[in-house]
Amino acid sequence: MSAHAAPTALLPPTVPRTPGEAVGLLAAREATGALRGPLGSVYLTDGLVTHAESDRAPDLGDLLTGCGRLAPGEWRELVEVHGPHARVAAALVDQGRITRGELELGHLETLFDAAFFVLADTGGGLWRFETGARHWLGPVAAVDAARVCRESERRRHLLDGIWPWPQLDTAPVRPAEAARRPSRRPPGRRRRELLDHADGRRTPAELARLLGRSGFGVTADVRRLAAAGLLDSAPAVVPGPVSVPGPAAASAPAPAAVPVSVPEPVPVAAPVPAQPPPPAAAEPAPAPEVPRSGGLHRRVPGATLTGAGAPGAVAAGAVTSVPAAGSTAYGPRPLGAHALGAHAAGAPERGAPAPGAAPRSDRPPIPAAAHPLTVPDPDIALLTRVLTLLEARL
Amino acid sequence: MPGIDECLSGAMAITGARSASLVDWSSGLALGSLGESPAGEHETTAAEATDLVRAAVESQTFTASEDRRAPLQDIIVTAGRSYHLICFIDTVFDSRLVLHLWLDREEGNLAGARYRLQALAEELVLG
Repeated sequence: MSAHAAPTALLPPTVPRTPGEAVGLLAAREATGALRGPLGSVYLTDGLVTHAESDRAPDLGDLLTGCGRLAPGEWRELVEVHGPHARVAAALVDQGRITRGELELGHLETLFDAAFFVLADTGGGLWRFETGARHWLGPVAAVDAARVCRESERRRHLLDGIWPWPQLDTAPVRPAEAARRPSRRPPGRRRRELLDHADGRRTPAELARLLGRSGFGVTADVRRLAAAGLLDSAPAVVPGPVSVPGPAAASAPAPAAVPVSVPEPVPVAAPVPAQPPPPAAAEPAPAPEVPRSGGLHRRVPGATLTGAGAPGAVAAGAVTSVPAAGSTAYGPRPLGAHALGAHAAGAPERGAPAPGAAPRSDRPPIPAAAHPLTVPDPDIALLTRVLTLLEARL
Repeated sequence: MPGIDECLSGAMAITGARSASLVDWSSGLALGSLGESPAGEHETTAAEATDLVRAAVESQTFTASEDRRAPLQDIIVTAGRSYHLICFIDTVFDSRLVLHLWLDREEGNLAGARYRLQALAEELVLG
């Protein structure tokens, strides 16, 4: 993993072909200045990387204002006053705003973060080196250029290993249907927060700045959430009117928006698979809904399981299981089954399932696992093919 | 006021210390390392320690009933010849950092090393 960039440093090519090679070349010449590319800049001092900045990665100021340590106005003032002398870092410590350790940690994190976006950019474009340019933050730490390049390369591989879908990194992201189900909350506080802030308009970079987190960390979390089927990119919303077909196709979820506003976020929301839930499907719902004045679980029109109309069945089903009729008869759409929290795929004979829900053990977690995207290791090759096909159709 | 280097030097001064690293577990990057690496390369060690940390942090079992912001304090791995202490660093801004100390089991004292490492992690942030 670490061997890739090493030759670059040892034998710098005379004409760099990649940003990493350019940095290696500049490092070998012990250059001082800024290498500027389409996505940001990498600053060198005597051949060592001392700063990096990119629109895709929050900088130290974003981190410090994002967590409330500094007010945005305070930060701006610091940069205005001390930036021209490249003494912002020193001023932060001198004024007791942050400790030396915090400065070093924040600086190194943001340096590697921004350098990744700048150096992993293979889009070409205009690159230039501005000799003598110095960063306004001022000296904090200097990192070997080969190490920066190696780390950028490693991070790129890491992202592709999580979910090889680079389009996700720049597109606005939004929660997928599956994410509406409480049972599918992702692990980890940060990922849950990220999911809560993905609104279909913000890109991962904007989310990173909003939450005051590293751009790479958010990008990796976005890809992890996408790999788990909990998040996807908003379909071509940005271009505008042209995008109508995308949202139109996604207009099916509209009815499913209702469950979200239901007071209890109990797994009622049918993930709206193929079938649009017209009145026919909606009909059985109201019947059980009204008698359930206890308010345990409200059926939602179109929440599938139309066969499970018996009131008793619904009451019990809401807790642990549902008459098998529902899940077996509608085998092709087990989503509906586990939308009701049913683990009862194996409860054939029971009209009113026992509270113990013994059938659980019969077939392990069939309904949940039946959802392709809940598999811990999704078949990435297959999904990539599907993705390519879908994209080709747009 | 200690910086990263002083923090790592302090960790290496703990009796029985064989290596000390500051690892960003959001990416697997070693921000700094001292001593010999148990895996031959500090970068490999950092990446592998990251896997362990993430498994713990993202599990319901170890975090559900804890403080949301900083659920874990440290992870201790006891091996035949050594201990691994992985101490979480709590910074005011969002970061995912741990101090990883590889400790010789014969020479080191687990309890003492754990307290010292936590003190170093706090000093690094609080000054």
